[in-house]
Amino acid sequence: MFPWLSLILFLPLVGSFLALGLWRRPLACRWASLLVALVDFALVAGLFSLNLKGQAGPTGRWLLAEDFPWIERFGIRYSLGLDGISLMLILLTAFLTVLCVLVSWKQITQRVGAFHFFLMFMETGVLGVFLATDLFLFYLFWEFQLIPMFFLIGMWGHENRVYATIKFIIYTIVGSLLMLAALIGLYVIHGAQTGQYTFALYQLVHTKLSPAAEIWLYAAFLLAFVIKIPLIPVHSWLPDAHTEAPTAGSVILAGLLLKTGAYAVLRFAFPLFPSAALVSVPLLLALGLGGLFYAAWIALAQRDLKRLVAYSSIAHMGLVVIGIGVWNIMTVSGAVLQMINHGLTTSALFILVGMLDERVHTREMDNFGGLWAKMPIFSAFFLLFSMASLGLPGLNNFVGEILILIGTFGKWPWVSGIGFAGLVLTVIYILWFVQSTLFGETRNPQIKERHLEDITAREAAILMPLAAAVLFIGLYPGPLLTLFREPIQGLMALFK
Amino acid sequence: MIAWFSILPHLILAAGGFSIFCLGAFWRPRSAGVLSGLALIAVFLAGAGVFLTTPEEPQFLGMLEVQGYGRFFTVLIIVITGLTLLFSHQYTKIRNIAGDEFYGLILLAALGMIFVADAVHWLTFFLGLEVLSISLYVLIAMRQADPGSNEAAVKYFIVGAVSSAFLTFGIAIIYAAAGTLSIPQSLVIDVPSGGISLIFLGLSLLLVGIGFKISVVPFHLWTPDVYQGAPAPVTAFLSTGSKAALFAALLRFASYSSDELWLYLTPVLWVGAVLTMGVGTISALAQIRVKRLLAYSSVAQMGYLLMTLLAVKQEGASAIMFYLPVYALMDLGAFGSVALLSAEKADLDALDDYCGLAYVHPWRSAILAISLISLAGLPPTAGFIGKFTLFWAVLQSRYVVIAIIGIIMAILSIYFYFRVVVALFMRPAEATISIPSVALTDRFAGGVILFFLLLLGLVPSPVFTIIEQILPLRGIP
Repeated sequence: MFPWLSLILFLPLVGSFLALGLWRRPLACRWASLLVALVDFALVAGLFSLNLKGQAGPTGRWLLAEDFPWIERFGIRYSLGLDGISLMLILLTAFLTVLCVLVSWKQITQRVGAFHFFLMFMETGVLGVFLATDLFLFYLFWEFQLIPMFFLIGMWGHENRVYATIKFIIYTIVGSLLMLAALIGLYVIHGAQTGQYTFALYQLVHTKLSPAAEIWLYAAFLLAFVIKIPLIPVHSWLPDAHTEAPTAGSVILAGLLLKTGAYAVLRFAFPLFPSAALVSVPLLLALGLGGLFYAAWIALAQRDLKRLVAYSSIAHMGLVVIGIGVWNIMTVSGAVLQMINHGLTTSALFILVGMLDERVHTREMDNFGGLWAKMPIFSAFFLLFSMASLGLPGLNNFVGEILILIGTFGKWPWVSGIGFAGLVLTVIYILWFVQSTLFGETRNPQIKERHLEDITAREAAILMPLAAAVLFIGLYPGPLLTLFREPIQGLMALFK
Repeated sequence: MIAWFSILPHLILAAGGFSIFCLGAFWRPRSAGVLSGLALIAVFLAGAGVFLTTPEEPQFLGMLEVQGYGRFFTVLIIVITGLTLLFSHQYTKIRNIAGDEFYGLILLAALGMIFVADAVHWLTFFLGLEVLSISLYVLIAMRQADPGSNEAAVKYFIVGAVSSAFLTFGIAIIYAAAGTLSIPQSLVIDVPSGGISLIFLGLSLLLVGIGFKISVVPFHLWTPDVYQGAPAPVTAFLSTGSKAALFAALLRFASYSSDELWLYLTPVLWVGAVLTMGVGTISALAQIRVKRLLAYSSVAQMGYLLMTLLAVKQEGASAIMFYLPVYALMDLGAFGSVALLSAEKADLDALDDYCGLAYVHPWRSAILAISLISLAGLPPTAGFIGKFTLFWAVLQSRYVVIAIIGIIMAILSIYFYFRVVVALFMRPAEATISIPSVALTDRFAGGVILFFLLLLGLVPSPVFTIIEQILPLRGIP
């Protein structure tokens, strides 16, 4: 079998060194990165044409899998696995990377080679997290994505970038190093039990743990993941990092990095420690709901458009955590779908705010208003993605939200009820966001007098596919849900 | 018939050192290029000597171990010396300190380090340590006009003298208790009742002496001053070569010592490891001078190694043997690139002076940054696999509490390592400093370090295979 997964995984890495090599010629860098990103996207999309069926292999049931020994001393293997969930997530990754290259076309003018180097490097890291089925390999990619993000925010960010990037790295490292300790602990316990030292997920799920050990190990894993998601009260790195990052950085953070956290809870934390996971469900639900309300409340007080979108991320991810926590087929499908949706809509909103920023060099809400008259096409897109974000039926977020909340109702009716109330708050701040940006009078007299260019062809090329995806999922989510069904059933089976 | 061939590398290094001194004394021009070239050739030949000869006997006259473990560290020290020489070539020439004494002493110090790492006899151990220390006293004071350099040398001399005193007394007591100067025999002797306390006393004094040299808290206070004062390539040599050699010796003592003796030492070691990690990390957080920051970082790194020494009876030895070369590469990369980024007058030290350097000197800064990322233990560098191996060995032996403390220290250490990276890449330059351009030798050394830091981070298996062939380390065959 041709190693499609490795090709998809490492092509961006090759692209990153290509971009670095072309650092003297910025335009060539951009084209090379765009080309590599497009080819990678085409490869992922091409996987659909292979007509893949789930097959039981040595490492579990996957659509596609690769498995080679790597560091034999520790029984570490290079093993990748693709199922419906990871397929959609790597599709999202490849898609958003293409957009990231495009949105940076005019925005990034300094050190273009290094920027694209880190951007493509990042793509490999994120793809690796979604594909790895050996826990050591997973951990490697998990940390691997930190360094490029650190540089992306720190070198190309806005005024407060150093503070934001240090905060980002410290928060994430706290979680991940504790997870490393827990990971080694699990490995040692499993090895002592079976005599077989391995990091393979399909073997480690059968480890028998004492309740105390299970709780501690689970706590360390969960902490690492919820910091990335982020759940309150460990979310405070996110508004800073999002606000200070360049547009491409915000897109990757919101669209992909947050997803790696939720994905890891689903793929690793719950299956590895089922009984501890069940104990933690009320806590997760409470924190998820708390995030929904808290973030909505704080969002209402924001003056900076990017910060507002950042807080909306926390609210949306709170809902995803509820979906995973309730743990039945409907809610988990909803959660995975919501991960994709959030990746699309929030990225789109960040891109739109970034476009505004490029034109008028401010993100303060007080300067805007009345944009509809100045830039009608831009405003139409802005309205579309905002409506998607607040969950208008017919657009993508609605499907995910409704699946999560209806699925929750059976077992946790109160949670579901409060969740619906939280969505009302979301409607309030998003409408306020739209109203104060697009409608009314332009409040800043300088901007009012200026002619603002409506979207260019390049910008349209970024926004059109996003809009198409938003509409497609909103109107016809069936194919995606079918893709998710088999892997989610597999995950559910681990709990019996 | 004495098998002189089995100590060929040692002989080559000694001959190289002495011929450089002779050239310095009797050859007027004293061309720096020739001297440094000669030193490099000697190191290269010594390295080749290790691979060309296969000693039949495991030990040379009961003095040096010349197989397996000893050869592993001989190669490591030769590589460290070679990289140090490459980094010093241009550095010493520009600053006018290149001479026969510099290159000759580097070779002799390397010889001392190899003696320390190979020693299976207390006398060879002590002799090696003295050769190493005396050479380093002079090397640290190389910049004679610089008061900082002189202060550092005096400090290192006083500390060195005190630690030698402890060591000699410790060895004397061990000899009194065991009745032999052979290291393996003296550490596994069948102790009569009451005898253990005497050998324990001797070993404690010995550990204090070694503790000074590898900067174990509370004997670490000299480290920042000396590292800051010494010329950067010498600091690189000091922080990697002498630490690797002494840790190799310590690991050897720990592996040889009987389980009973080891049981007595464990609590001392536990406390020492926690203190060393903690004080090293927390002191580094507040530093505003890069060389001092790196000095405290190396204290903290020694703490991680000491923590792993606790597990020496299980998997600790292999983890330490993997980490020492990795640590040597990272620290050589860090101090080496400090040397490359330094102006002619004094080494670049204040953190503020590093601001924005990456935009002027991207490659040197990249070496420094990757070395720091590796020291911080992040993938895809060798430092990550190294840290993983250390914590694996410790947890395998069920030392959970100290492992958690170690993890917390590793988290804190991210902050100070990344502070330097932030300064290099993310802050605007405050003043332009004119920095000499790099020579081919520097490029080569930097390239080698970069290559191996990434290679060992992705393909560590070959090194583990070698280590598995060497271990376990047995006292008496």
